[in-house]
Amino acid sequence: MLKHLYDTDCVTWSPQGKLFQVEYAMEAVKQGSICLGLKSNDFVVLCSLKRQPSELAGYQEKQFKIDDHMAIAIAGLTADARVLCKYMRTECLEYKYTYESHHPVGRLVFKVAEKSQHKTQSGAKRPYGVGLLVAGIDPNGVHLFETCPSGNYYEYKCQAIGSRSQAARTYFESWFHLFEKSTLEQLILHGLSALKKAIMEDEELNEKNVEVGILGKNQKFIHLNAQELKDYIVKLETFNANTQIQQE
Amino acid sequence: MIFNSEISGEQQHTTSPVVTGGSVIALVYNGGVIVGTDTLCSYGSMAAFKNVKKIAQISKNTIYASSGEFSDFQQVVKELAKIDRSALQYDDGVHPSPKDYGNFLARLSYKKRCKINPLYLQNVIAGFHNGERYLSLVDIYGTYLESNFITTGFASYFCKAIISNYWNENCTLDQAKQVIRECFKVLFCRDCRAHDVIQLAYVDAQGAHIEEPERVETKWDFNGFKSRANEKLHTQ
Repeated sequence: MLKHLYDTDCVTWSPQGKLFQVEYAMEAVKQGSICLGLKSNDFVVLCSLKRQPSELAGYQEKQFKIDDHMAIAIAGLTADARVLCKYMRTECLEYKYTYESHHPVGRLVFKVAEKSQHKTQSGAKRPYGVGLLVAGIDPNGVHLFETCPSGNYYEYKCQAIGSRSQAARTYFESWFHLFEKSTLEQLILHGLSALKKAIMEDEELNEKNVEVGILGKNQKFIHLNAQELKDYIVKLETFNANTQIQQE
Repeated sequence: MIFNSEISGEQQHTTSPVVTGGSVIALVYNGGVIVGTDTLCSYGSMAAFKNVKKIAQISKNTIYASSGEFSDFQQVVKELAKIDRSALQYDDGVHPSPKDYGNFLARLSYKKRCKINPLYLQNVIAGFHNGERYLSLVDIYGTYLESNFITTGFASYFCKAIISNYWNENCTLDQAKQVIRECFKVLFCRDCRAHDVIQLAYVDAQGAHIEEPERVETKWDFNGFKSRANEKLHTQ
């Protein structure tokens, strides 16, 4: 993105009706490594590619459990993500303390969006530089939301954010009609296939740089462990979305 | 929830109630939950307000009644209705279940108890959610108990025998109503702060139904009363 006039702070509109600071914040999300989410009638799966700052470093985790029934995947500034994650966890705990039941997912996403919007309307603040994919289950069903630094939030059947996410979205556009009735295994394989489309030529998916989290109506949020990831990556070699159509 | 006494700085503590409601009796039956109260608010020993509706509908499938300080009852109804309205604010169609209300009230009561300024109430929350009956008691200390039958006040002393003899958790609605009517008959005879006009309300799969007040049957034409009344004074 090129530099613009009228971009010094959040409280200045451009003549074209844009808030450039907010747009720049959304660029920060696009620079983060890819994470994607997809849902069926019973499960939500989050897949992300973990970045390793250097050979000596560990891989940056991108998925965090908010509560038994809710989890997020982040793209963008990890420090900002930590703040939002802490906020969401606190809200869920308070709700559980008061009502002894799970925080409705849409409502928490709404609260996060309100918090984010607040940062876009103040001279002394900057927007959060992180986009979240929020996966959750509540009495209304299975949910996948995306939140933006702008304070907007959207509900999706499947979505990918971060670096080279367009490739994953293109995969989704071709195959999302299968997701609703997919089994958990098929859903995970679809997620990994989409992830594969978004990696660079010299990269490969392995159990170290891939993170998969699953959440279901009777399944609390868990991460797949290294062995399970290895097995799925092997299955990915022979997975073909076309075969799923033939089965149905 | 901020009370006026906290704003004005004069911290007062509820040590005894002023205008009080009587016993509440609630039972589950095969299709839902039924709650009964009388329609009296007493001002000490005076039967001051004799036509009071003391069962409130909180949401589509939850009803609430309590015995104790009536102004606290009115305030709690407002607070619980606020929660239901939040669905409108968030625009997401998510309504709290009866259990959510019960737990909220338990937390609220406990908080106020810890400040030695309790909501002077024994609360009963009844509801029907996802095909399951819900009935709970939250007392003045914030204790939360779910049960198949609840009695507060004098009903706990006089009515448990009637309930255990004539009610079971799978009885019909009419059977449950009869049990409650019988209980209030006994209460009217034995509880000085009871009244013979009662109100029943029940929640089932179709939602909450609050009936109009009705008078319990009482019998006063005993021979003993009649002949006594004709006795001349000072015959002994």
